[in-house]
Amino acid sequence: MSGEEEENAAELKIGDVALILEHKYEQLQQMSEDPLNQVSQVFEKSLQYVKRFSRYKNPDAVRQVREILSRYQLAEFELCVLGNLCPETVEEAIAMVPSIKTKGRAHDDEAIEKMLNDLSLIKKFE
Amino acid sequence: MFFHIVLERNMQLHPRHFGRNLRDNIVAKLMKDVEGTCSGRHGFVVAITGIENIGKGLIRDGTGFVSFPVKYQCVVFRPFKGEILEAVVTMVNKMGFFAEAGPVQIFVSNHLIPDDMEFQSGDMPNYTTSDGSVKIQKDSEVRLKIIGTRVDATEIFCIGTIKDDFLGVINDPAAA
Repeated sequence: MSGEEEENAAELKIGDVALILEHKYEQLQQMSEDPLNQVSQVFEKSLQYVKRFSRYKNPDAVRQVREILSRYQLAEFELCVLGNLCPETVEEAIAMVPSIKTKGRAHDDEAIEKMLNDLSLIKKFE
Repeated sequence: MFFHIVLERNMQLHPRHFGRNLRDNIVAKLMKDVEGTCSGRHGFVVAITGIENIGKGLIRDGTGFVSFPVKYQCVVFRPFKGEILEAVVTMVNKMGFFAEAGPVQIFVSNHLIPDDMEFQSGDMPNYTTSDGSVKIQKDSEVRLKIIGTRVDATEIFCIGTIKDDFLGVINDPAAA
């Protein structure tokens, strides 16, 4: 979906963004007393948003999610949506990302279910 | 969805900034100019994460200003048609409701809210199902699908729907 217009783009999951923005916010905090004054409204809103919707709080879990999803030959875009929304059932996953079921790919319901199971395990053991 | 991309920009710099802090000055000015802006093509620039390289400066005729081509990495947020994402409801009225996903505003019209949800006015306007089990009000978290985007040079505005499978309220602050 994004490939046509942004050649060098890398999709980021919400968890990744949370790590990046929090790191940057900490840097700003060290430089000045009142970091909220330094950052743009867009930054502030995005930070609040990713904090609110980040499913995995610790950096290792965020990395693991990417690792597990990358085993399933998903497009980056699909990987991201699944990582962001964490669907619980196979039907939900297909409704969120219809393309995992099409294109004649080897994703039957069982494979998808296994993938979702792996994801929920990370969350459990976080 | 958030993306990490490399962008390029020509920075015009006044000669008074030259000296050993030149690079720092360019980077500081770049951050001030670019962070928080929105372009129709790439979306909202949330944060600059790194500088790839700063090219050779070119003196502008007549002014003494020098322009440097700068390549930088940044995190951008750009919504796509058909994308499903989660958002926080900011305002509810009888026309529908507004929700925010990071910097982007999304409007969900009452035609795109399931038919069994009715608008209730009052000091906390909301949409409620007839049995009262599901309620959309300010600060609810909803999962919605973007069905249209309007992209200007400086603004992105989206229309969303919750009238589809697996869409709707995911967390109600009143119930929690």
